[in-house]
Amino acid sequence: MAEHHAVSDGKHKASTNAGGSVHGNSRPGAAGGGGGKGGLSGGLTQPAGWQSLLSFSILFLACLAGFSSRLFAVIRFESIIHEFDPWFNYRSTHHLTTNGFYEFLNWFDERAWYPLGRIVGGTVYPGLMVTAGLIHYMLNLLHITVHIRDVCVFLAPVFSGLTAISTFLLTRELWNQGAGLLAACFIAIVPGYISRSVAGSFDNEGIAIFALQFTYYLWVKSVKTGSVFWTIGCCLSYFYMVSAWGGYVFIINLIPLHVFVLMLMQRYSRRVYIAYSTFYIVGLVLSMQIPFVGFQPIRTSEHMAAAGVFALLQAYAFLQYLKDRLTRQEFQTLFFLGVSLAAGVVFLTVIYLTYTGLYAKIHIPIIASVSEHQPTTWVSFFFDLHILVCTFPAGLWFCIKNINDERVFVALYAISAVYFAGVMVRLMLTLTPVVCMLSAVAFSSVFEHYMGDDTKREKPPAEDSSDEDDKRNSGNLYDKAGKVRKHVSEQEKAEEGLGPNIKSIVTMLMLMLLMMFAVHCTWVTSNAYSSPSVVLASYNHDGTRNILDDFREAYYWLRQNTDEHARVMSWWDYGYQIAGMANRTTLVDNNTWNNSHIALVGKAMSSNESAAYKIMRSLDVDYVLIIFGGVIGYSGDDINKFLWMVRIAEGEHPKDIRESDYFTPQGEFRVDKAGSPTLLNCLMYKMSYYRFGEMQLDFRTPPGFDRTRNAEIGNKDIKFQHLEEAFTSEHWLVRIYKVKNLDNREPLDHKLRSVVPKQKYTSKKTAKRKRGHIKNKLALRKGKKLQKK
Amino acid sequence: MASVWTKFFVHLPVLCVFFLLLLCLPPGGGQKKKENLLSEKVDQMMEWSSRRSVVRMNGDKFRRFVKAPPRNYSVIVMFTALQPQRQCSVCRQANEEYQVLANSWRYSSAFSNKLFFTVVDYDEGADVFQQLNMNSAPTFMHFPAKGKPKRADTFDLQRIGFASEQLAKWIADRTDVQIRVFRPPNYSGTIALALLVSLVGGLLYLRRNNLEFIYNKTGWAMAALCVVFAMTSGQMWNHIRGPPYAHKNPQNGQVSYIHGSSQAQFVAESHIILLLNAAITMGMVLLNEAATSKGDVGKRRIICLVGLGLVVFFFSFLLSIFRSKYHGYPYSFLIK
Repeated sequence: MAEHHAVSDGKHKASTNAGGSVHGNSRPGAAGGGGGKGGLSGGLTQPAGWQSLLSFSILFLACLAGFSSRLFAVIRFESIIHEFDPWFNYRSTHHLTTNGFYEFLNWFDERAWYPLGRIVGGTVYPGLMVTAGLIHYMLNLLHITVHIRDVCVFLAPVFSGLTAISTFLLTRELWNQGAGLLAACFIAIVPGYISRSVAGSFDNEGIAIFALQFTYYLWVKSVKTGSVFWTIGCCLSYFYMVSAWGGYVFIINLIPLHVFVLMLMQRYSRRVYIAYSTFYIVGLVLSMQIPFVGFQPIRTSEHMAAAGVFALLQAYAFLQYLKDRLTRQEFQTLFFLGVSLAAGVVFLTVIYLTYTGLYAKIHIPIIASVSEHQPTTWVSFFFDLHILVCTFPAGLWFCIKNINDERVFVALYAISAVYFAGVMVRLMLTLTPVVCMLSAVAFSSVFEHYMGDDTKREKPPAEDSSDEDDKRNSGNLYDKAGKVRKHVSEQEKAEEGLGPNIKSIVTMLMLMLLMMFAVHCTWVTSNAYSSPSVVLASYNHDGTRNILDDFREAYYWLRQNTDEHARVMSWWDYGYQIAGMANRTTLVDNNTWNNSHIALVGKAMSSNESAAYKIMRSLDVDYVLIIFGGVIGYSGDDINKFLWMVRIAEGEHPKDIRESDYFTPQGEFRVDKAGSPTLLNCLMYKMSYYRFGEMQLDFRTPPGFDRTRNAEIGNKDIKFQHLEEAFTSEHWLVRIYKVKNLDNREPLDHKLRSVVPKQKYTSKKTAKRKRGHIKNKLALRKGKKLQKK
Repeated sequence: MASVWTKFFVHLPVLCVFFLLLLCLPPGGGQKKKENLLSEKVDQMMEWSSRRSVVRMNGDKFRRFVKAPPRNYSVIVMFTALQPQRQCSVCRQANEEYQVLANSWRYSSAFSNKLFFTVVDYDEGADVFQQLNMNSAPTFMHFPAKGKPKRADTFDLQRIGFASEQLAKWIADRTDVQIRVFRPPNYSGTIALALLVSLVGGLLYLRRNNLEFIYNKTGWAMAALCVVFAMTSGQMWNHIRGPPYAHKNPQNGQVSYIHGSSQAQFVAESHIILLLNAAITMGMVLLNEAATSKGDVGKRRIICLVGLGLVVFFFSFLLSIFRSKYHGYPYSFLIK
């Protein structure tokens, strides 16, 4: 529980100091820190130095907490790559480090999608692999020799620290430093982000959230300053995002939306013009450098909104220019209205088209079968965000009430992200950062008012004016927030405050809620998001732990005992793992680009043995690998996924596979005696339960009792004609079958025609008849005989 | 036809009497008569179905056109009970879907005399129901052009429902006739949207001299919060999955508003969550208001305490609901 302490500790510090730093910010001379730092501040001559030291240490602790709370899996198991997709990323990173970058870009992987193969270099976002490869290269350059696997495992936790820093920067731009520190602490430990960035989960999202937040920070910065320098930085960060994750589409739609709304709100300025024009052109050119993206930014509907807003912005700027020259104001406003309406209609249609396209995609079975593509219940929101989900609307409220250019941006970000998160569970990831920022705003404004002493509330007016000057000098940094604060202190000067009792009660309870948040985050991370799923663990009644390492056992068996070019058929979930761990050719994998190929595998799994054998022969299958959880009660096995195989197969081969055949007449899916005969004789069923009928797991249950589905299996007498069992792992979790070659000759079902014809009676006296049957050789002998005679 | 004749030859001894009868007729007359009969039937069916896409049948018509052998067309029959006194609400829904399907076929370019849609109402052909041993309505059956209906020729209503797309898939499976279901477009959504837009436009026009309210931040903030609350309480899930409003236990009549599993939710539940989230947010805003607003200190203290109470109480309530749904969750606050 070391992580736990670190987390809650960091949280406490963050919240106390958030208040303190805020006070210090508003009244530089009066108080260095509100919460307990009063003694120190008395002798301080340079409180600004203390402030930055505090901010730095809080940020550092937040990064540390974020890093260490992601290490549960490494400590419990080992430094291992998790789940499915990370195995592919790891394999390609390995390829990159061993063969170099150009070889990686041209990589044609013949070990996947047999016999088609896959062009990997052109169909991946290379940012992740390049980042990991670069870190590995740098470390080796410094003679720190680490294996590339360790770099991959720890990449996501390291980047979560960077995400905390960029969230801090962004929130500081939006509100103030205290809120920024709180936001950094929130994002470091919030489960919605941890779910994709625990150690070992080597996936695009791990680095993409950092790129997302950093791009937004630079964008806000460039809108505020209107300098090309920041905009170019924003474009470079956007380029990194494009290279890392397909979610870059979110950025390229949100930033134009921001500009569009700013124009509607009459907040157009030269800063916006410079920022967006530069961003659009440079960002477009840079994003097209990624091979996988290519010409999409000028072709597909997702990117059209950006182009439309760009055109609109130019037209608007042109009109602004004309406005100085012309006098007919009304004509111009009318014209402007017409243009903006037309652009708005175009924009909405584009969004509508995108939405319908997305919706149609949800209904294709192969997409619907992935659990991440489901809409989100309130439980998932609460599970991933806990108290933040209830408080971030308050932050949104404060932002809209004190609106300025960059708060328009965060409001739009919040509304669009919350909509997408509602449609699809996996997009919770894009919602999480904005929720952290807005909750930090809400909490920070509460702490700002309730933490600190009433006695120190009087304020010399001279300080006030210097504060104003500060504000002007620092380039409009804290304009709105500063106003609010000034207003507060003025009025508190006039009247007495709420009293120390109420203030301390509020502070205590708020801190308690935040503590619960920290505890919740640790619990969720430890229990829900830290399972590698390659290695399973089960707990006995006395708390001891069993490690089930069947997957790696079986993959290692494949690696050691099969031919190097053997082709392994399995359901697509295990494709990346077979390629990564067993290094064997697979037919289908988690990159589900070819539905018909997957349907063919599904058809083989769901037909009877002889029909399946024909398919397997045509696909050159050598081994079949299946996952069977009936012995240990593992629910994610192939029989439970089987209906999806049938559905996907039925989508492509409706004549041969029919879903209704696999149900009982009552419409149930059962594996026991009452199950449908088609199910009981299909290949998947036979492979799963082969020899299982002889096995008695415990004395209370009959032999062949499936613990996952709690049923005694219906077909115990399973015999194979074309397959043979090659390997079954210790807990029967993985079973591998070898596909036999064709027999030398098909055994005939009728008797062979006798070669010797029925002989009539022949007297042996006449040699001629006897000779008549045997041809040339005897004729020769006859000649010899003749010669002898 | 050939198969019919082979059958005749197989049952030769039985049918010799029939043969004698046939011998009385001119040679080949039987076949010709059958052809006449067939074309007559097809013409009749075509005429009916050109008049209305679903042909209504009574017992006699059913036996003549659907059951009797000389046929070269498939017939889909819906057995139903549409009379109001039967009180079959499912039948009415099924009938609507069936009409959509039949109309799609009737007005499609592939329309031919190979497939007909018919309906038998219980009150018009009760004898048909008895004859087929049928005791539930609605039932969809397919009578193939050749042979008798098999088990798969009865549509599995319980499992796949009666959406016209499913029916079309089943028909394509049984008869090789592909029907592309064309639903008459539903204009109600568009009309509502147009009404809304014109209403808003009209309001704007009426108040064109005083457009201050567009710059009202509170209004915009409220709208934004509404979107946020709707999404975080899972209204999108409700929209896509369509869960029931609440669950009533048939045994003891208890109504449960909270779904027991963390994978699902009821509509009522999502409304409760929406209110709880809104209350907590309001508490946070009130806390802020109490500290910043000008006014009597006592009043501000009350506002502050109310805000704090809202946040703490409703959050612990929310946590307890979450705990009851997410089994094994160890933490709670104030309320168990």
